[in-house]
Parts: sequence; C-alpha cells; structure tokens
Amino acid sequence: MTNMRMVDEASKMQDVKIESRGVHVHYGTNEAIKGVDVDILDKTVTSFIGPSGCGKSTFLRCLNRMNDTIDSCRVTGKILMDGDDIYDRAVDPVQLRARVGMVFQKPNPFPKSIYDNVAYGPRIHGLVANKADLDDVVEQSLRRAALWTEAKDRLAEPGTGLSGGQQQRLCIARAIATAPQVLLMDEPCSALDPIATSQIEDLIDELRASFSVVIVTHSMQQAARVSQKTAFFHLGEIVEYGDTPKIFTNPEDQRTQDYITGRFG
Amino acid sequence: MISLTFVLVIAAGFIFLTLSRGRAISLAAGDLASLHSRPSYHGLHAFLWVVLVGITTLLILSVLGSSLITAALMGDIADALPDSQRIERQLILSDAMSLSRGTVASKDDALRQEVAVRFGTYEAIRVWGSVLISLGLAALIGMRSLSRTTLEFRARNSSEAIIRRLLLGCAIIAVLTTVGIVLSLIFETLVFFENLNWRIDKYLFGTRWSPLSGVSAGVMDPDRVGAVPLFAGTFLITIIAMLVAVPIGLLAAIYLSDFASKNVRAWAKPMLEILAGVPTVVYGFFAAITVAPFIRRTGEALGMNVASESALAAGVVMGIMIIPFISSLSDDVINAVPQSLRDGSYGLGATKAETIRQVVLPAALPGIVSAVLLGISRAVGETMIVVMAAGQGANLTLNPLEAVTTVTVQIVMLITGDTEASVAAGPAFTLGFTLFCITLGLNIYALRTVRKYRELYD
Repeated sequence: MTNMRMVDEASKMQDVKIESRGVHVHYGTNEAIKGVDVDILDKTVTSFIGPSGCGKSTFLRCLNRMNDTIDSCRVTGKILMDGDDIYDRAVDPVQLRARVGMVFQKPNPFPKSIYDNVAYGPRIHGLVANKADLDDVVEQSLRRAALWTEAKDRLAEPGTGLSGGQQQRLCIARAIATAPQVLLMDEPCSALDPIATSQIEDLIDELRASFSVVIVTHSMQQAARVSQKTAFFHLGEIVEYGDTPKIFTNPEDQRTQDYITGRFG
Repeated sequence: MISLTFVLVIAAGFIFLTLSRGRAISLAAGDLASLHSRPSYHGLHAFLWVVLVGITTLLILSVLGSSLITAALMGDIADALPDSQRIERQLILSDAMSLSRGTVASKDDALRQEVAVRFGTYEAIRVWGSVLISLGLAALIGMRSLSRTTLEFRARNSSEAIIRRLLLGCAIIAVLTTVGIVLSLIFETLVFFENLNWRIDKYLFGTRWSPLSGVSAGVMDPDRVGAVPLFAGTFLITIIAMLVAVPIGLLAAIYLSDFASKNVRAWAKPMLEILAGVPTVVYGFFAAITVAPFIRRTGEALGMNVASESALAAGVVMGIMIIPFISSLSDDVINAVPQSLRDGSYGLGATKAETIRQVVLPAALPGIVSAVLLGISRAVGETMIVVMAAGQGANLTLNPLEAVTTVTVQIVMLITGDTEASVAAGPAFTLGFTLFCITLGLNIYALRTVRKYRELYD
C-alpha cells in the first residue's frame, strides 16, 4: 500500500493522463496481466521495465486498444484517459488511437514515400485543409523527429530505403504528425545501433514537452536516462512504480532490486 | 525382354550398392571416421555408375539395333524387288514384322515369309545382344566401383559430381524442349509466309479469315488469312473474363485475408481452390448449355438481338474459371504483407478499410499484378469454353453479344479438320507463334513492372 500512496502523492503534483485500475488481460485462458493499477502522468516519460513475458508490452497495447485486433484477447478493468473510460462502448478505438500514438519495436514504415508516410495520419483524419498545410505538418513532424535535415531532399523516395535508425525516426514522425496526446513506444530502440538509439533517446526527451510518453524497454540504462517515472513489471503485475532515480537507486521491493542489479531477468 | 532388363539393371545397381557399402564398412573395421566418405556414399556411387551405364547401353543398343535391322532388311527387299517403290518396300517390311510376331499381315507371300524369318533372327540377336551387353557392362562397372571402394576413395565427391550432371541434364532437357518448340514454330511460320508469297501484312492486318478455302497447289490466298478477327475475338473475350475475374477475385481475397474469421477461411479457401480444379471442358458446356441461352433469353426480353453463341457467355464463364487463380494468389500475397504494417496503420488510428486500401494493397501490388497477368495468360490460352460457347465464325466485332472466335479455337479447327495436315499446319503454327509472341511480351512486361515495384517497396 505504500506504493499506492506514493502514486497518489505524485499524481497531485502533476496531471494524471491515464489511470489504470484493476486491469486484467486474458489471452484465451492464459492471464497475461493480473490487476494493474498505475497513473501515467502528462508531459512525463514513463518507462515500463521487467523481464520478457512479464506483460509490459501487453499492458502498453491496452492503452490504445491495439489488443482489440487480436481475437483471443480479453481486457477487463478500467483504463481512464482524462477521466473517460477508453474501454467504454461509446469509445471508437479508431478515434482513440488517433489520440494515443504508437511506435513499434521494429521500424515499420509503409511502402510509400517518406512524405506519404508522415502525411498518412493527417490525411486519414482530415487534420489539414490543403496541400500547403500538409507540407507544413510533414516538415514540422520530421523536424521534431530529427529527420528533416536527412530527409528533406528525398521526400519522394520510399521510406523503406532509409536506414534502420532513420526508419524508426520516420515512424516517430509519422506518429507525432497525427498530433496525439500520448505516445506509446514498444522497445523503440531494440533493433537499432547505439548511435541511432541515442538520437531516439534525445528525441524522446524533447517529445516530453508536448506529450505523455510511455516507453517499454529492456535496457535499464535507457529507462534511467530517458524516463522520470518507472514501473517494474513482473509476472503480469506491477511490483513497484515510482520516480526513476528512486527505483534505480533505492528500490523498495527485493524483486526490483534483484532485477536492476542483474540477478534475474 | 528389354523392359525386364531395365528392372534387372536397377536390381544390379542395388546389389552393388549393398556390396560396396558392406565393403566400406568392413574396410573401416569399426572406425567409420577412417573412411573419407561414409559407407552409404560408396553404395550410392556404385549404384549410380551401374544404373547409368546399364540403362544408357541398353537404350543405345536397342534403338541403334532397330534402325540397323530396318536398314538391312530394306536393302534385302530392294535386292529382291529392284523396281519397287520405297513405300511398297516399307509395306512388305511391316507385313514381315507382323508375320514374325504372329499378328495379322495385309498379305502373305514367299518374300514376306523369308523377310519375316530373317527379321526374327536379327530381332533375337538385337534383343539378346543388348540385354547381355548392357547387363555385362553394368556388372563390369559394378566390379570396378567395388574395387575402388577404399578408405581414401572420395565416393561422396564423385557421386555428387554425377548427381550434379544429372541435374544439369534435366535442366538442359527442359531448355532444349522450349528451344525446339520455338524453333519449330518459327520454321513452320516461315513456310506459311512463303506460301503467302511473303504478304505478312495480309496476315497481320487482313480482316477475312478462312485460310483453307482458297488453297490452290499449296499456295494460299493472301486475302483470306487476315488474323485480325481472331485476335479481336481473343481480346474481347479476355477483357470480358478479366472484368469478371479481377474485381470478384480480388475482393474475395481481401475478404478472406482481412475480414473472414478463421472458421470461414478454413472452408472458403479450399472451396475456391476446388473451383480451380474443375476441368475447363465442364465450364465449356456449362457456358454453352446454361449461360449462353440465359443471356440470349435475357437479351431478347430486353429487346436486343443476341446470338445463341456469344462472346459474353464465353467471357463470363471464363472469368468465373479464373476467379480462383486471382483470389488464391492475391490472398497469399495479401497475407504475406507483414502484420507490423497493419499494426502501424491501426496505431495511427486508421480504420480497417483505410489500412487495406492505403497500406496492404500497395504493399501487395506486385503479387496482385502477377496474379492478374497469370489470369490473362489463362484467358488468352483457354480453348474449350470458347469452342463451345463463343462460336467458330471469324467475325470482326467488338459487340459482346455476337458470336466471335479466338486464336486457340481456330487452331483447334485447323488441326482437327479434315484438310491435309501439311496444309492446315501452316496457319495453325503461325497463329500459335503469334500467340506465343503476345504472351511472351505480356510476361516480360509484367516481370518488369513487378520488379520496378519490388525495388520501390522492399
């Protein structure tokens, strides 16, 4: 219960963007998430760490209802975004995902030009009135994803022709072009080399000014570098959630201690 | 006897396989690592040598023997009947062979009896000679392989070399067959054009097709070999077929891959594939007996003049025939589009329809294009449906309600008609060659397009 109290104290200081209460996820008969309560703050980077199979990616995918696309998956409990239940019948997952962007583990640019990749979201959501506005959105998104200088002369070339790190930044640009409020990142650097990783990490730090960012990562250094809040997942539960420096220097739970010191995981 | 020898040679191969392998094992004396090649390779090496040498010898000797015997007997008959025609001598020889085998001959006389006896002797020599020589050679080679089975012998490398040559041989056979077919098409086409006094323009641009009605002394009337109506008919029916097959096939594929539940997919896909297994002749009489009259009645009810055999009937049924090709292949390529791309699109708040139209289909386009082109090749080459449902008259029209004919139908008519083959073959081969050029061009164009897209999207 000390954890919960800490969550509440933290929430008072900053706006809570997403509240999760008693979330359970079942794949068929297998329970992947066993009751997760967490408050994700606005304009903050929250990282989810934990050993493979602990449910952190599954939980992340609950936050924009990506699990709806999997037939056998069943989500129970409450997830509130700005106080509204995102699993309410009235909520259209398509609209929700426009507000909660997602970047995946493997860069997945569409087989289209760099420009069309970024313009995809604004186009389908009708966010822009004319071509000039769209050009503007594309440029701004690419600038914020730190890809503009590299890509500005080759906007018409296919996005798949970029390097892995550039592709991932293109995917981030694509996600922020839709003007989401929350950005979910599922191990965004696991397929990238250290240089590309560090560029993405800088980017995440800048994105914090505008979005609430949630990042799943296997790298504890990365969690320590980019996030302000860290949640440690283990066997489908959050073992410990708190300020990142505290989790990494003075964890309360023995399992967190063991994981971050490399004794298991 | 000869066919039994094939079996014997293969049996000998197995015997030497066992012997060589056994010898290798006993040479190794329990330490298999001391052998360069594992025992089974020694066996394989012996088997390949024995079978290849035995069968090759057998084939060469028996075929060569046959022609030698024929030549010798023809010479004998020529000596006996110096002023006979070649065709008479051949008749005598075939009668003699029949007599010798105890079957019915057209005529029985002393010369035929004599030739028959000689044929019997030669034939026995040929059969026994080739059997014994090939078995003997096979045994010799087998013994050689057996004696070569030593610790150091590189049986694996040797047998792999033999197998590599066998594979090469098969590839060469396939390529040579293609080359042969194309060459014979070209040759016959040139002969046909020669018969037209090189009025190729009349063939390519003429609009009247009835090649066999104007034949005099082997020279065709260039005004009656205009192939335009045939190609127009082929074109018309292909277009109708693709208008039916592409939308239905593609939409079915999209439904199957992205909308259908697992259960629906589990029975719908095999059902579609069964459709591909229906013989075209069944589609043909379906078109002729059910669809064509239906179209005619409907047309008449609407006050239109519809022929009882129409391009529309043939085209629609052909389209139905092609649906499974397009849907099955497109379904495969649509399924091959990675889930990560779909997730990426859903993650940006796209609906299923937007995702399919803007992400999945563009990514699957090269495969879909090749599926459509495969369908077009099927449509262009299809014969049975058109023979039964579209008519035979070379009729230059683009009206789908009239009877038309296609290139393939005319080839069938020429070859199965009662005109002498040497006359009918010319136009048939020429049509075939033209069709071949068109499909080849189509395929090359398709491959280029597909490659261009692939470079863009990979």
